[in-house]
Amino acid sequence: MDSNLTNPALWHRIQFAFTITYHYLFPQLTMGLGWFLVYWKWTALRTGEEKYNRASRFWARIFGLNFAVGVVTGIPMEFQFGTNWAGFSRYAGGIVGQTLAMEGMFAFFLESAFVGALVWGEKRLGPRVHFLAAIGVATGSWLSGFFILVTNAFMQRPAGYAITADGLLMLNSARDYLMNPWAWVEFSHNQAAALVTGSFAISAVGAFYALRGVHAEQARLYLRAGTLVGLFASVAVAFPTGDAQAKMVGRHQPVTMAAMEGRFEGGSLAELCLIGQPNVKEQRLENPIALPGALSFLAYGTFESYVKGLNEFPRDTWPDSIEILYYSFHIMITLGTIFIGIMGWAVVQRLRGRLEISTRLLWILLLSLPFPYIATSLGWATAELGRQPWLIYGLLRTRDGYSKVVSDGDVLFTLIGFVGLYFVLGVLFLYLTGREIQHGPDGDAAHAAAQPT
Amino acid sequence: MIVAVWYGIVAFSLSTYVVLDGRNFGAGMLQRFVAREPLERRQVIAAIGPLWTWHEVWFVSTGGAIFLAFPRLLASAFSGYYLALFLILWCVVLRGVSIEVGGHIDDRLWQTFWDAVFTLSSALLALLFGAALGNVIRGVPLHADGTFYMTFFTDFRAKGDVGLLDAYTVSVAFFCALVLAAHGATYLTARTEGPVHARAVAMARRLWLAAIPGFLAISMFTSRVRPELFQGLASRPLAWLGVATCAGSAVALFTGLRSGQEQRAFLGSSFLLQGILMSGAATLFPVMLFSTLDANDRLTAHNCAAPHESLVAASLWWPFSLILAFVYVFVVRHYYSDRVRASRDTATPY
Repeated sequence: MDSNLTNPALWHRIQFAFTITYHYLFPQLTMGLGWFLVYWKWTALRTGEEKYNRASRFWARIFGLNFAVGVVTGIPMEFQFGTNWAGFSRYAGGIVGQTLAMEGMFAFFLESAFVGALVWGEKRLGPRVHFLAAIGVATGSWLSGFFILVTNAFMQRPAGYAITADGLLMLNSARDYLMNPWAWVEFSHNQAAALVTGSFAISAVGAFYALRGVHAEQARLYLRAGTLVGLFASVAVAFPTGDAQAKMVGRHQPVTMAAMEGRFEGGSLAELCLIGQPNVKEQRLENPIALPGALSFLAYGTFESYVKGLNEFPRDTWPDSIEILYYSFHIMITLGTIFIGIMGWAVVQRLRGRLEISTRLLWILLLSLPFPYIATSLGWATAELGRQPWLIYGLLRTRDGYSKVVSDGDVLFTLIGFVGLYFVLGVLFLYLTGREIQHGPDGDAAHAAAQPT
Repeated sequence: MIVAVWYGIVAFSLSTYVVLDGRNFGAGMLQRFVAREPLERRQVIAAIGPLWTWHEVWFVSTGGAIFLAFPRLLASAFSGYYLALFLILWCVVLRGVSIEVGGHIDDRLWQTFWDAVFTLSSALLALLFGAALGNVIRGVPLHADGTFYMTFFTDFRAKGDVGLLDAYTVSVAFFCALVLAAHGATYLTARTEGPVHARAVAMARRLWLAAIPGFLAISMFTSRVRPELFQGLASRPLAWLGVATCAGSAVALFTGLRSGQEQRAFLGSSFLLQGILMSGAATLFPVMLFSTLDANDRLTAHNCAAPHESLVAASLWWPFSLILAFVYVFVVRHYYSDRVRASRDTATPY
């Protein structure tokens, strides 16, 4: 296999992309659901109403399944830095090792201590401690996201580092490293998106029950909480967080911005493409339908701002998959806009008192479930493909970061292994989650009786 | 100095992982021997308890500590052990899934299947981690640039161009599986009631008795493969502390097993394992990975360490995070301190 000649790290990249994208399907729901659980448990403590307990018990079971798959698919990620990206680990361990170790020490220990008790231990712990367990797990999951995003932000816009005499990276200022503006913008954007996934999941289950005419009280609760949080979160994903993220890319990775927009020639009054296909060979955009000036405005704040085109940058700094980058970015934005529309419509229907009976809306809420997952995956594809050809922007190229001792064939073998194993995991997860949803929140009187006391 | 501290932290993380998750591997390996009925098998899972993910985090945190403090070791060892490490990771995935999903459906066939996955993956993990330990002691074919890439086996001799498995590492693997089974059985004696408890008691006694000749044999083999491990012992005061811990723990273990003081036996078993690993680490310091090709090409704490500033920064936050981690666990353990009996109650995982 000689893919090494054209794209040295290809199989390493595909394996990491596959395992991380698959893994992240789970934590995004964990992070999204966590605070719903805290909210319902808190409301139950405050009002003593059983329906909130039922909601938190039901979602805690789904959370538990989701968390379990998130954990088992997350462990290989930590080790793949060493197995597949030895060049990167050796070069940057002195700085990114900090946050990856912090994630284990501060976030994983917190989550893992409380998650079993949250899912199964309500009776043992009693309502108050159980509520604390929910806070612990939710906090842990967000902390974990934070440390990963600081790490990623360093790779996107290095901060707080110095280079040693051996040419390796070291931590120079923990403050600059942790307070990297890119990290905070990316974290807000990512967490808002996790809340979108969580609220769409909750709304979809509510819609499912409402359409079938079962569990009416719980369906109402899910639909109301899901669509209200969903609206705020969907708006927050676009503005201010998405907007700030785009400006960050425009400022620190202008070549990425040009590639995301398939923009080969620079100019002011830069247009934002609504539809169009990049043709990298002939360096133009096919069938474009564009809003003039919109890109200038979004990236730099005025319609006249000059936005550089790819041709103004050396060819060897262009992202190497401009087509996928372009489609990822545009589909993400389109989906994000549609999410605001759906959730806005749902909130209007709620104000009209028709949230639980508008069949068309319920169908749309039900069928939208996969789309937040697609949007977040594409968002990450945009971030990571946009960073290419760099592993650490401006410091380390991807082709210098992979494990040179590992042959392509061995990577392909482990990649196939992961695909097989994760396929089985996916089927198992869908089956068990489907079973819980089928079983429903009201069936847990029987379920609770079977729990240890 | 700070490099030695971080060497100690890595050794502490790894040995804590072995002690904590090792008992789950042991309980997993023995599940079908101590439990004869479906409910008893659920009892074993319930005895492992809701903190098994917390135990597993020590594995991830060890990886994190190596990444942070010894990035060159991480780069060299993880890529060199490439296929073996993925086998371990896949077993970790299967083990985790089998614990979590078995209790979700109250169905005999479903649970039998996942219990079998649990037993097999636990046994494989004990063997694979044992083989990994054997590899660390024996060394790997490190080149002058600090890299290696190992095949699964070559000629089974523990010298020169070695593979992952050879006479020595396979022996260590089986010895580790034996010891972890004994450790798991001891844990089950302290955490269960009823027939499972009775069988675990018998099993723990027999397995620990078998471990004594095993230990002598493996020590003799080790003294041939890696004589430094015993020669260095005399000059390392910290290793004496480890050996003293081992001696005290062994006494606690055997008297505890004999007199039915099961909590004491289990503590003895835990500190025995930790003591052996820590005194081994203290003796081998500063070497982290020996080369079987040229003794000079070894990786040491000094030639693998992250820059000084990075280690200083990490030393500031690490102790704090360690204290927090134990605080969480003591809070949760408080609610799970009673012994587990086989009943309908244990139909759900914990």
